[in-house]
Amino acid sequence: MSIDARVRAYWREEFSLIALLLLFFIAIVAFGYSLPFDARLFPLIIGGAGIVLTLTVALAQVRRRRAGAAAVVDEDDPAAKADWPRYATALLSAPAFGLLFWLFGFIVASLAAMVLIPLLMGYANRRRLVVTAVITVAVLAVIAPYLLNVELPQGVVGDWLIDKLALRAG
Amino acid sequence: MFDHLVLGLTAALQVKQFLFMVAGTVIGLWVGVLPGLGGPVAMAILIPFTFSMDPLSALLMLASISVGAAFGGSVTSILLNIPGEASSAATAYDGYPMAQQGRAKVAMGLSAGASLAAAIVGVLILMFASGPVAKAALAFSPAEYFALAILGLTVVSVAALGSTIKGLAMGALGIAISLIGIDSILGAERYTFGFVYLLDGISFVPVMVGLFAITELISMILEGGTIAKAGKLEGSLWDGFWDTFRYPFTLIQSTAVGAFLGMIPGIGATAANFLAYSVAQRSSKHPGQFGKGAPEGIIAPEASNNSCIPTSLIPALTLGIPGGATSAILLVAVTLQGLRPGPMLFTSNPELIWGFFMGLLIGAVMATILYLIMIPWFALITIVRIELMAPMLLIVTLFGAYANERNMMDVFVAIFFGLLGYFLRRHGYPLISLVIGLILGKLAEGSFHQALMISDHDYSVFFLRPLSASIFALCLVLVLWPGVKKRLGHGGAEVT
Repeated sequence: MSIDARVRAYWREEFSLIALLLLFFIAIVAFGYSLPFDARLFPLIIGGAGIVLTLTVALAQVRRRRAGAAAVVDEDDPAAKADWPRYATALLSAPAFGLLFWLFGFIVASLAAMVLIPLLMGYANRRRLVVTAVITVAVLAVIAPYLLNVELPQGVVGDWLIDKLALRAG
Repeated sequence: MFDHLVLGLTAALQVKQFLFMVAGTVIGLWVGVLPGLGGPVAMAILIPFTFSMDPLSALLMLASISVGAAFGGSVTSILLNIPGEASSAATAYDGYPMAQQGRAKVAMGLSAGASLAAAIVGVLILMFASGPVAKAALAFSPAEYFALAILGLTVVSVAALGSTIKGLAMGALGIAISLIGIDSILGAERYTFGFVYLLDGISFVPVMVGLFAITELISMILEGGTIAKAGKLEGSLWDGFWDTFRYPFTLIQSTAVGAFLGMIPGIGATAANFLAYSVAQRSSKHPGQFGKGAPEGIIAPEASNNSCIPTSLIPALTLGIPGGATSAILLVAVTLQGLRPGPMLFTSNPELIWGFFMGLLIGAVMATILYLIMIPWFALITIVRIELMAPMLLIVTLFGAYANERNMMDVFVAIFFGLLGYFLRRHGYPLISLVIGLILGKLAEGSFHQALMISDHDYSVFFLRPLSASIFALCLVLVLWPGVKKRLGHGGAEVT
């Protein structure tokens, strides 16, 4: 990506973040109005302060952009150096894991993450990968219920299957 | 006093108590390392097992978990930039850069040295200052608590990475997030939009997991390679351990910050951790080195959180007011044993109280020894390839987010804050300020309302009481000082 394109992307992200913050603080004030006085007083103060602070940040950034600050782009920014599959892996790994966790449960999601993420990152030793994946998930599957007293969820699909096949104990 | 010390030592050194302390410390070190599963969670899980124990064994085991977790929490902060405990979060700011330079062992040695020294001082303060200090803390009115919360936020925002104004905006965001849920004054639902999950507010653990763990994970995947950039480890553990004592001012200052904040109910080790870091940065001769692997940047947060834990027991044991999650759980354990916290506990059960105090001292030494034994093994993590480690971390951290409340929504909240945190961090918005805002939000609002109720809605209460007025004046000076300094032409190194 050229420097110009990176600078443009930087400012696009910066102003999107500012807009998001502004929207959040406006929502805090707007939805606070319908609350009783004592319940809305503090949110209105914080929301108001947040709006003022965000607008000050916006003003500072507009001035900085007009001053043509090309130094906003960090030469060592790993996001700029990464190719798109790695960038997508970095940003989408957690949401994809969350979705799998919710749908198919912890064990399936963990196994998928342990195998797919290294492959997408270019890791080549598949035998080591599979062994590490199986051991990690097995250790967690034992530790969670027996030592931490946390039952691992089977996920929406897993629960549906267990009910459908009448596999639930008791 | 000497009789009490001997009595306590005799009680704490019995084989049974000693074994419970070893077990507690090992459990604490272990859960401290797991992001999201901190000492309070492990203590809460083990409380039912203490019913059948004698009171001293129960208290010593639970307290050892908390001491061990404080040590263990720094391990992942240093090695992975993922705090195992919320109270070790600031340790990552300099611990992780040191690990990246291949000096993970030195960083952990510094952490061990600072933790040991501060924990011993904290326990000594607990022993000798319980009564008088608890009385002094009672003099703080809600107006002062509110002022302290704002001061905490201001100090962190001013000294944090990134611009002050962005720091303050992040603080406001943190406080605003803490407003979600049932209002503590009237019980009104705020910003829940009908979601049951939001009634209790957004839980602190998934936000922390997201902001620190997921954010770091994204950066790790983008960078690849190994955490220690050169792929090898340099420096020794003992260099780091003894280096701690080459910074006596930082050590004493941060221990004092932690010990003082520990005595004030509600502030807690997490706020102490960040505040001590900020204070150390501001008072350092080399503030520009902070965030790049400065030894003081490890000593300050580690000393403060380890001195804060024992002193947070002062209001808990003498007044029955918990200083934080750890002391609240210990208080529950004391009550479950049929004992009543308060001044009478000191006179009716001296063996228990002094045995507990001596046990805490022994526990701090024991945690240091176990930590030092385990460090070389922990440090190897920094030379494991990120391709293998990233998915493991993803699984463990999101499991930690889930395990806290066994709620799937916490996993999604962690992911949301992880993605948000990544972009905020990339653009210089200090995430510490957001976290501090979130921690202090409820305290700030509660104190704000209490102060207004006491003063019959007279807003001048915050500015007419000398102590709160002084604290607010200090906040103003902190915010305006960098600008004034710049105008006067003494800019020097900008604190970034």
